[in-house]
Amino acid sequence: MNAKILTKENLLSFVQNLIKTGEVVGVTKKDGKFAFDHLKRASDLVLDYDVTLLPPKKYVMPQRETLIKFNVKPEVKVEAVVEATPFTLIGVHPYDLKAINQLDRLFEENHVDTNYMKRREQATIIAVTPTRASKWSFWSSMNSIFVETGFDLLLTDIGGRYAVEIGTAHGDELLKKHAKFEEAAPADIEKLESIRSALPKMCSADRKINALTHEMTAILEIHRKSELWEKRAEKCYSCGSCNLICPTCYCFDVKEEIDLNLKDGSRYRVWDGCLLEDFAKIGSGENFREKRADRFRHRFFRKWSYLAAKLTEPACVGCGRCSSVCLPDIADPVKVINELKEEK
Amino acid sequence: MTKPKVAFFDFASCEGDQLQIANLEEKLLELLEHVEVVSFREVMKEHSDDYDIAFIEGSCTREADEARLKKIRSNAKIVVAIGACATIAGINALKNTRPLDQVRKEVYGDNAKWYETYAARPIDAVITVDFKLHGCPIRGDEFLALCKALLTGQKFVVPDYPVCAECKLAENVCVFEKGMTCVGPVTRAGCGACCVTQGAVCWGCRGLVDDPNKNAHKEVLDKYGLKAEEVMNKFNLYFAYQGGPK
Repeated sequence: MNAKILTKENLLSFVQNLIKTGEVVGVTKKDGKFAFDHLKRASDLVLDYDVTLLPPKKYVMPQRETLIKFNVKPEVKVEAVVEATPFTLIGVHPYDLKAINQLDRLFEENHVDTNYMKRREQATIIAVTPTRASKWSFWSSMNSIFVETGFDLLLTDIGGRYAVEIGTAHGDELLKKHAKFEEAAPADIEKLESIRSALPKMCSADRKINALTHEMTAILEIHRKSELWEKRAEKCYSCGSCNLICPTCYCFDVKEEIDLNLKDGSRYRVWDGCLLEDFAKIGSGENFREKRADRFRHRFFRKWSYLAAKLTEPACVGCGRCSSVCLPDIADPVKVINELKEEK
Repeated sequence: MTKPKVAFFDFASCEGDQLQIANLEEKLLELLEHVEVVSFREVMKEHSDDYDIAFIEGSCTREADEARLKKIRSNAKIVVAIGACATIAGINALKNTRPLDQVRKEVYGDNAKWYETYAARPIDAVITVDFKLHGCPIRGDEFLALCKALLTGQKFVVPDYPVCAECKLAENVCVFEKGMTCVGPVTRAGCGACCVTQGAVCWGCRGLVDDPNKNAHKEVLDKYGLKAEEVMNKFNLYFAYQGGPK
């Protein structure tokens, strides 16, 4: 293992230098919790957070993104739009990075999503090893603690100083250009390794799915007709909260809007969610998943079966956000999968 | 093409929805490129009964209102209810939960007998309404979106999902996590969760979604320590006409 060492001071000046040279987004405090936001000063950056309200996905797949601009008068004109400018994302936890890596694959396969790929190319990602886990997180069960790719740099707090692992040549260049660092001593590497080996135990003991990831898929398949879906869905608000905070949900709706001059307009996409009642409603008024239970079950099958077949791993990274935002407490994958496993 | 003629009317309300429209200022002027306003007492003196689109604010709270509403309906090609009072009877319907004689005496005292009143109702309880602009008050941009849809022949879409969705998009901390409670989980979105974003809670002014899970929400409010009466109060503030959990 190879790493550089940044003192806390040097990390701060590194971040401050990045802010001076471009757009930087980092984890900041928000109303007693944490959120990725535009970073004004390096001192606003929080690296010892548990989980952010929304995942950093919002920067590679914005909530609202213009796709084309058009004019209808005096003549019809259409222009494709790609909104992508360089930015650095600091403080991404491995589970959220794993989710972005999955999105990269999904948006690239078959028909390449130009808007996503162009934006993604503009992102520099500085990941950070978690120092604590939210009480809902279950990333240990989803193999999302360690990521090999996706980051340009990976920071780990080794006790007052940061070990920096280099993921890409771009990351290496950034560090050399903007940071004052030292080479890691053998004792630093030892510390880094001991921190890493303790990570699987960071999620609390009751946040464990009692199955390996491929077994989870099989458990769902066997229990497709379980009463659990209907029973839990009785309490579902169809509010889509579990979709909208999810780092791997990537469904969107495409809409158009005309300006008040009734001449110019744009087509844009916005986040959608399969739990929302109108998600599978089509032009004729037909709704393919009209019942709450159908929508509720679909989310699990989408993540653990349909996308798992494409990705060869479930499209869940165990961040625990869906479990934490669900007021009636029905959406938690840990409880759902463990309960299904216990069923005959 | 001649400009469609537009008129504004008000019933039991504070006229705050029309104020939202008057407050559009430059955008209102831009809209006037496409429509002709023939009646709007907050901004002009003139009035005409020759109009194509009628925007109606306020609830129907007495029998005498019905004739006036029917006349507007017969004059207009399109009727739009604007604001919670018109779309769901709003806070006017709070009085429906108590004996009307008592309510009337409280408000008008010794003169109560001179003031006719009956249970507050939304406009579509009396006449057919083509479109609804929800909220207390309405949003200026949603008013413009409807105008643009009518002018271009596009479909006007009102969200049919709970405020929670927009709260998540706004990256708000859930009010339930902050020791408060709200009715966002059963309330129609479209407001951008503005009240919660500003540090308050959702009171439900856009009314219930089409298929609200009222019973699930009653259970959640119970779980978070609300007494039965407090739960009913939560549901009654804006949903008194639409009805609370069973």
